[in-house]
Amino acid sequence: MSTSSQGIRRTLDRLFVPLTLGPTLLWIAAIIVYPTLQLFWSSLFFVDPITGQRSFVGLANFTDLLLGDGPFGVLNAEFANFTWNTIVYVGFSVSISFLLGLGIATLLDKDLKGRGWLRTAVIVPWILPYVMSGLMWRWMFQTQYGAINAVLLRLDVIAERIAFLSDGTLAMMALIIADVWVFTPFIIIILLAGLQNVPEQLYDAAEVDGASRWSRFWNVTYPFLKPSILVALTIRIIFDIRALDLVWVMTQGGPGKATEVWASWLYRTAMVFNTPGQGAALGVVLLAVTFAIVAVLYSVFGESPYET
Amino acid sequence: MSTKTSYLDRLQDSFGLDTDNEWPSVVRERLVAYGLLGLYVFVVWFPIYYIFITSLKPSGAVINLPVTFFPTEPTISNYVEIFANRPFELYTFNSLVVASVTTVVVVSLGTVSGYTFSRYDFLGNKALLLSIVAARMIPPIALIVPFFAIMSDPPLVGGLTGSLYDTKVALILTYTFFNLPFAVWIMKNYFDGVPESLDEQAKVDGCSTWEGFVKIILPVAKPGIAATAILAFIFSWNEFVFALVLTSSEQAQTLPIAVSLFVADDFVDWAHLAAGGMIAALPGILFGLFFQRYIVSGLTQGAVKE
Repeated sequence: MSTSSQGIRRTLDRLFVPLTLGPTLLWIAAIIVYPTLQLFWSSLFFVDPITGQRSFVGLANFTDLLLGDGPFGVLNAEFANFTWNTIVYVGFSVSISFLLGLGIATLLDKDLKGRGWLRTAVIVPWILPYVMSGLMWRWMFQTQYGAINAVLLRLDVIAERIAFLSDGTLAMMALIIADVWVFTPFIIIILLAGLQNVPEQLYDAAEVDGASRWSRFWNVTYPFLKPSILVALTIRIIFDIRALDLVWVMTQGGPGKATEVWASWLYRTAMVFNTPGQGAALGVVLLAVTFAIVAVLYSVFGESPYET
Repeated sequence: MSTKTSYLDRLQDSFGLDTDNEWPSVVRERLVAYGLLGLYVFVVWFPIYYIFITSLKPSGAVINLPVTFFPTEPTISNYVEIFANRPFELYTFNSLVVASVTTVVVVSLGTVSGYTFSRYDFLGNKALLLSIVAARMIPPIALIVPFFAIMSDPPLVGGLTGSLYDTKVALILTYTFFNLPFAVWIMKNYFDGVPESLDEQAKVDGCSTWEGFVKIILPVAKPGIAATAILAFIFSWNEFVFALVLTSSEQAQTLPIAVSLFVADDFVDWAHLAAGGMIAALPGILFGLFFQRYIVSGLTQGAVKE
């Protein structure tokens, strides 16, 4: 009796690794590997939005998507336009929120009383549903009843209400402000964790040596902060390229096509225009670009934060 | 003179200064820090405050001019009405079920796998771990087409389950996709910080690997598990895009969808939207207020390896 239960125990122990990893790996295969393969597969088909007829078209979805007679004579003009919007959106949001986040993280790194509360107050925007944040900012920027126009009017900064979301440039700016509002907390948390790794003595030593504030940051803080900066930027950039929530509820890509980015375009092609083949092709491009960005960032910084 | 000194002393105390000669440059620096942080917090919370007071205005008063920043006659009628006129209790229930079940699945699988990745050196260990990292990098939105197809017509089990489109199961499966790689990663990094001598001690005490894991390791891992659970819950609770693609009725739609439904073409029902938005935002605000520590540790474990 006891020997057989011993035997079961030993067998279970021997199976520890497969039993603990098996379900996770199966799950990941089913929920990640299979859909990814399916993505590549469906990008090769054209599905008629009306009849639902499916026909194999090879790489035609890709050539339609990328090639045309736009800039440089080869790029599809729409593709170039939406790519440019994506670059503007991601470029401005990421750099502004990075600089702002670095500043706030530096302030929070000081030994202040009530730091826990400040950190709580700072973190909250990131934990709210993006949809609610997007709609909230749409309400802030609303022409008649929005808080921003109301405040600017009351402070006499403007004489007339501004229709922020009806002007292409202003709408893009509004999106960027909302995006910075949502994602700066993430930057703050990651950079703060990095700042707290800097040994206190090094600061003291630098101070004794009379190093300037700037040289202290560059020579003491930055080397320790580098891995955190890499992670913060990578995740931020990737997330912004693929994030749809804010764009969709704030501007739906409008006015016109002024704020249409890759993510909203993908959603529109696949789900609104009901042409999944084209959506899938764009998905493949998005996947490739994401991995390219990750590869570039990691090779530039020369190290992987995922030390395995 | 003496009163002034004691006032300075008190001020120094309240800034946590312990030596006199730090005064005054450090205090000045701290005052500046408090000032800037205060300004930042004010600006950051203002939109939340604005949508909150909007939710308390009678729905007609939202479009009164000039805009007021203090509700003159606060009312909860918007909150009552969204439950009375729309199936908000169903949306809330769906959100709760989807986020909770996802969290349970993600935390259980993530914890055991994270532990094994942290402790065992087996063939293909690194390759598997790397593929999990890569899985985290896959942009979810790129996969809306296949997810829509798979949920409408599930492979293998399709005959048994029928279409999963517009079910909570579809959302739970999908959200596991977002969260499981992340959870494995957080837990692996967490277990890396748990000394292996604990495992050995358990073995010396005659525990089998399983007993040791359950009795000795799991209790130590509680903070990591809490961090994983809170993040998985928040991510699933807040998710919008896949809920938009995979659901179409209140039997599966979650709160973020319910909030977006207040936008009808060009007209937006702002007062009710604000109330719905506050309900959708509530877990985030509560988690932020009470479990900020776990959120921060989970994020840093998941993002930066230490």
